[in-house]
Amino acid sequence: MTVTSIKRPVRPDDAAEAAPVALGFKGVDVVLADKLILAGVDLDVRQGEFMCLIGASGCGKTTLLRLAAGLLPPTKGEVRYLGNPISEPRRDVAVVFQDYGDALLPWRTAAGNVSLVYETMGMPASERKSRIEGVLAKVGLLDHAEKFPAQLSGGMQQRLQIARCLAQEPAVWLMDEPFGALDAMTRHALQDEIMRIVAESGTTVFFVTHDLEEAIYLGDRVVAMKPHPGRVAQTFDVKLARPRDRRLTPEQPEFLRLRRELYDFIEADH
Amino acid sequence: MKARRLVWLGLSFVFAAAIIVAWQLISNFGLVSPIFLPPPSRAWNALVFNIERGSLLPYVLLTLQHMFYGWLIASFLGVAIGSLIGVSPAVRAYLAPMLEFFRPLPASALFPIAIAIFGLTENMLLVVIGFGALWPTLLATVNGFATVKPRLEEVSRLLGMSRRKFIFSVALPNAMPEALAGMRLSLTIALILSVTGEILSGSDGLGRWVMLQARGFRTPDLFAGVLLFGVIGYLSAQIVTYLERRLLRWRATP
Repeated sequence: MTVTSIKRPVRPDDAAEAAPVALGFKGVDVVLADKLILAGVDLDVRQGEFMCLIGASGCGKTTLLRLAAGLLPPTKGEVRYLGNPISEPRRDVAVVFQDYGDALLPWRTAAGNVSLVYETMGMPASERKSRIEGVLAKVGLLDHAEKFPAQLSGGMQQRLQIARCLAQEPAVWLMDEPFGALDAMTRHALQDEIMRIVAESGTTVFFVTHDLEEAIYLGDRVVAMKPHPGRVAQTFDVKLARPRDRRLTPEQPEFLRLRRELYDFIEADH
Repeated sequence: MKARRLVWLGLSFVFAAAIIVAWQLISNFGLVSPIFLPPPSRAWNALVFNIERGSLLPYVLLTLQHMFYGWLIASFLGVAIGSLIGVSPAVRAYLAPMLEFFRPLPASALFPIAIAIFGLTENMLLVVIGFGALWPTLLATVNGFATVKPRLEEVSRLLGMSRRKFIFSVALPNAMPEALAGMRLSLTIALILSVTGEILSGSDGLGRWVMLQARGFRTPDLFAGVLLFGVIGYLSAQIVTYLERRLLRWRATP
């Protein structure tokens, strides 16, 4: 077990406040099949922020993510990316889905799956190869470049999906319970890896999870939602130093305090 | 695992041998006149004799040619038209009932129409084979387009894929397993239609040869021809199965 080194500095709170808004939701309602899924959501995600979204299942976390991805238009209100309304998916906003098995092309090798992004961009074949290798190396899949997804473990398939998103060179990551289907060991490894990748590139992250400890461990801020209809209920700032450490961080009083608060928040519904 | 397969293979050989023995016994005891059912030994001798003489080879090649070209036309058109229909859910819903009407039509019933239009020509033969063998591949391709996972459609949107890129990189590969299974079926139809077509139109080939043997009551030769059809059907299906296994390598988990 090695401690991942993360170069990202701890930002003073006021600096975080000053960063421009990457993703902005304003008065957002979503109605699907005559059902009010989201009601009056106001939420800003600032540039460079790692925002974790928690809440009971069915509270509209994924719907909020799909709005940010441009996969779904709001029924009312506005969703903006860097101040401009989102109407279509953008290549610099990457989405990591939980069901990596369905999100990859099973008939393409690991390298082929990454290549898809570059092909879609219209990059000449000669340029693609080295780029693909670079991206696969970043997630530790270079030795498995010629394997098909079915030949990779679940953790490796999720790494591959992350690699494909890396190829998009995203400014924003939208992650929908990306590690929910993985075993604890793999999940921990990937959590540290995603923090390293994000720190290196300074990207904004919108991370949906139902795992409270994961939210605290990863996030700069945890936003909690409530269901029926889905709405933003409370925001928790995570004032834990970075780089975070697998063993030390969860033992800090601040971590334990937040964990207690979040459990209380979730329990309040029952 | 391997032992199991060998046992099954052995059993199927035993079964085939049993049928041949029964056939031989029926002939030996004169249950059926040898004019209608020659013993397998004579059918076999006729087959060996005709092959050694080299008199069958040109006919076999002609029939293979009819079958292969017809199948090629059917496969190409099946995938192309299937893609055009499959790509749009609206067109799919609109045309599906009509396709289901065409599919069960016995293609051999088209020969009279095709003969009336094209005459007794090789082209007529290819048109009927191509049309008759089209349906399994076409319907499989349409279905392969319809079964693209919603998640993959989302990923395609997220990556900003053009429609063209989506068809060639996502929808067609997704349709590939079904389309190949359809092509395997259509190969059998192509063989059947080649033989029927040769008999009906008088185009040279193994089908016509077999018919002539029957008319001359040379039943051992007739049975030799029928055996040969079996071999052709079996081998061609094996080739497509091999192709399927190679092209669909990604599905296997070794």
